[in-house]
Amino acid sequence: MAIELSGVSYRYAGSSSAALVSIDLRLEPGRVVGLAGANESGKSTLCLVVAGLAPGVIGGRLEGSVRVDGDETTAMRPHELAQRCGLLFQNAATQLSNTTATVFEEVAFGPCNLGLPVAEVVSRVWWALRTAGIEALAPRDPARLSGGQAQLVALASVLALRPGYLVLDEPTSELDPAGTRLVAEALARIARETGAGILVVEHKTDVLAQMADEVVVLERGAVALSGPAAATLADPRLVGLGVEPPAAVRLERAVRASGIEWSAALAEAIE
Amino acid sequence: MGLLTRWVRRQFTTRVIVLMPVAIAINIVLGAAVQQGLKLPIYLDSIGTILVGVLAGPLAGALTGFLSNLIWGYLLPSPIGSTTIAPFAITAAVIGLLAGLWGQLGLFRPRRGGRGSIAAAAIAVVLVGALALYTYARAYASPEQFQSNTGIDASQFDQSRIFFLIVMVAYVILVAVALYLRRDVGAVLAIGAGLVTGIVAAIVSAPIAAVVYGGVTGGGTDAIVAAFRAGGDGLYQATLKQGLLSDPMDKMVTSFVVFFIIGSLSRRFVSRFPNGEKTVGDSPEVAPEAPEVSPQGATES
Amino acid sequence: MPVAAAADPGLPDYVARQPRGFYRSVNPGTKLAVAALEVVAAFLLPGWVGPLLVLAIVFATAAAARRLRGLATIALATSPIVGSILLINLFLLPGASDPIARLGPLAPTWSGLWFGLQTVARLISFSLAIGLVYLTTAVDDLLADLARRGLGRRAIFVVGAAVQMVPGTIERAAEIVDAQRSRGMDTEGRIWRRARGVLPMAAPIVFGALTEVEERTMALEARAFSAPGRQTLLRVPADGPADRVLRWAAILALVAIVALRATGRLG
Repeated sequence: MAIELSGVSYRYAGSSSAALVSIDLRLEPGRVVGLAGANESGKSTLCLVVAGLAPGVIGGRLEGSVRVDGDETTAMRPHELAQRCGLLFQNAATQLSNTTATVFEEVAFGPCNLGLPVAEVVSRVWWALRTAGIEALAPRDPARLSGGQAQLVALASVLALRPGYLVLDEPTSELDPAGTRLVAEALARIARETGAGILVVEHKTDVLAQMADEVVVLERGAVALSGPAAATLADPRLVGLGVEPPAAVRLERAVRASGIEWSAALAEAIE
Repeated sequence: MGLLTRWVRRQFTTRVIVLMPVAIAINIVLGAAVQQGLKLPIYLDSIGTILVGVLAGPLAGALTGFLSNLIWGYLLPSPIGSTTIAPFAITAAVIGLLAGLWGQLGLFRPRRGGRGSIAAAAIAVVLVGALALYTYARAYASPEQFQSNTGIDASQFDQSRIFFLIVMVAYVILVAVALYLRRDVGAVLAIGAGLVTGIVAAIVSAPIAAVVYGGVTGGGTDAIVAAFRAGGDGLYQATLKQGLLSDPMDKMVTSFVVFFIIGSLSRRFVSRFPNGEKTVGDSPEVAPEAPEVSPQGATES
Repeated sequence: MPVAAAADPGLPDYVARQPRGFYRSVNPGTKLAVAALEVVAAFLLPGWVGPLLVLAIVFATAAAARRLRGLATIALATSPIVGSILLINLFLLPGASDPIARLGPLAPTWSGLWFGLQTVARLISFSLAIGLVYLTTAVDDLLADLARRGLGRRAIFVVGAAVQMVPGTIERAAEIVDAQRSRGMDTEGRIWRRARGVLPMAAPIVFGALTEVEERTMALEARAFSAPGRQTLLRVPADGPADRVLRWAAILALVAIVALRATGRLG
């Protein structure tokens, strides 16, 4: 039971260079894997491949195998993939369907598309709203929400399909600190309460430090670093790969560099 | 029957379904802006329709045009909504249908090429001009020859000669401007397609305007209708003639705009549409090697 | 995904809401049928009977539904084209030879006036019949009703999204036009300069909208948009016996008028 990528390379349609090169990745239920890397390193492409939208919806050429709980993504139709692996993008506005008047109906969009009975749709919506922490927003107009709220609505709409895995491509990049906190907390809660496997792309390594169990760093479409979150985020090669280490790591380095003793108690105090 | 259903489904992929409301909104907003703001004697309410037709196919284009008019007429509040525009939904559908045909024929494909293209462009303009002059010389040598060549009554000789000249000059000017701005020989074909679309649109619209609106359309073009009636034309004739002047202009400008838009879109974006391969132009990028998975077509709904 | 059971508030009222009020509570499909009948009657019933009858019915309904002001706004919005129709036909009706007066080179004719007025009456009654449906029906309800009758989710999405997108696109367009006006673009002035203003205005609107297409497509697929079968409808406008009777009566009347007119019985 996992999402497993073996030797995956991917090339966009009409492109002569590979966006992903020979990637091996494993996403297990209940684990949070953080994905970092410089711009154009292939993070967004990897998200599309893991969720099966590449090549399914956008075409292109895939080598190697992408399996969700043992089933190849290339053998599944988009609506089947949507129920196995949810995908979220950074721009909350473009993820709204633009056809609903309330957040409730917006979150119900996915289950309604599946043709589920009304009672089932309603119970899924309330569950998704509760899990994302936005029950109070249910009667609101989706077009009139703050960035963080809209992103949580997008999250709830994807959750309503009850996927076993979630892939998020920079979910907080367009949010202010308050919104970022809302989303990060929701994600941590989801991992804890629902046992979903989460893959999250983030530039904000502080967020990763907070919620990721494991961190993978990409460079030019290939895996450059991977391992447990704390160790990987403290790896000295991070900066060279275009990733800014979390504040705690930078502080520790600065402190050590100026000759002061760094103790565990100090580290505790900062957390 | 299976082939037909497949052809229908192929045009309505999710991507097309997403594009259509965007195209409809563009149609309505630009059309309303021109009608109320820019005050030019054209309509400019078909950019979205032609764009969808070229990229996705005739049915998608037709539906975009049709729905644009219906939504504009029935579902939007004044001042944007205009309950008098809806009957022209038929014309809009025809425009979309034709655009799908042009897209299939690859008439909107960018054809820039290299240095030789400037020479090709110049040659294209010369050829077009020569063709126009030749047609003019043959048809308009004398009223009798006009009647025998085209079957239209000789009394229309003078007027139709002026029409022809105006439209041809406009065509050559637009093509020349497009070539100057973009050095893309495809402009000749795209704007030519616009010319044909305009003529067909005028022919389809005239009876609608005559029956529903007493021969009037409420835009800046009514002055032209008045002028023709003052010259002695019947209801339908005056409307038709006004249409034959305005519609080709409008559709040529619209096609010019759509051609530019398509030429500016990335290859990656265009290739994912149903008519994508026919519309993707020559670009320095290396062609992809086989085998490739093509984007999922429309699934059962 | 394992789920913890918890209290379920059920389908909220604000989703299950049904429209209320005279004519507003009538089923949208029925209102469409009635409007179609009114349009056909306005054009196919002989002479003035059609337009006047339709106008009377429409005004009466609007008054009872308390939407007279909205109706007046719609009627007012047709004044440019009404003016055109009257003026052009008054002075320039082809073949008219019964002048009212001679004002120099211009000769308004009685037949021109008659024809113009009749055309205007038809146009306004048709336009208000449609307008009444718009004033008494929310787009959501209309679409939900059509979905119940079998309209596919793709069509529903296209219409629903288009209606929601237009105001946003207008705002964007207004911003662009303002920005360009401050940079010197002409909105008055000679034709050539105005024409040149078209491309700079259209391009940003179009490209802005197009860049979102890819992501919106993926977002839809991620919400199972292309799943097969019919979508679940959370809310469907009521369709009681009165609605059905009225709807069928309207359709039958419509067919009757068309048939009578086609066989020449209506002149």
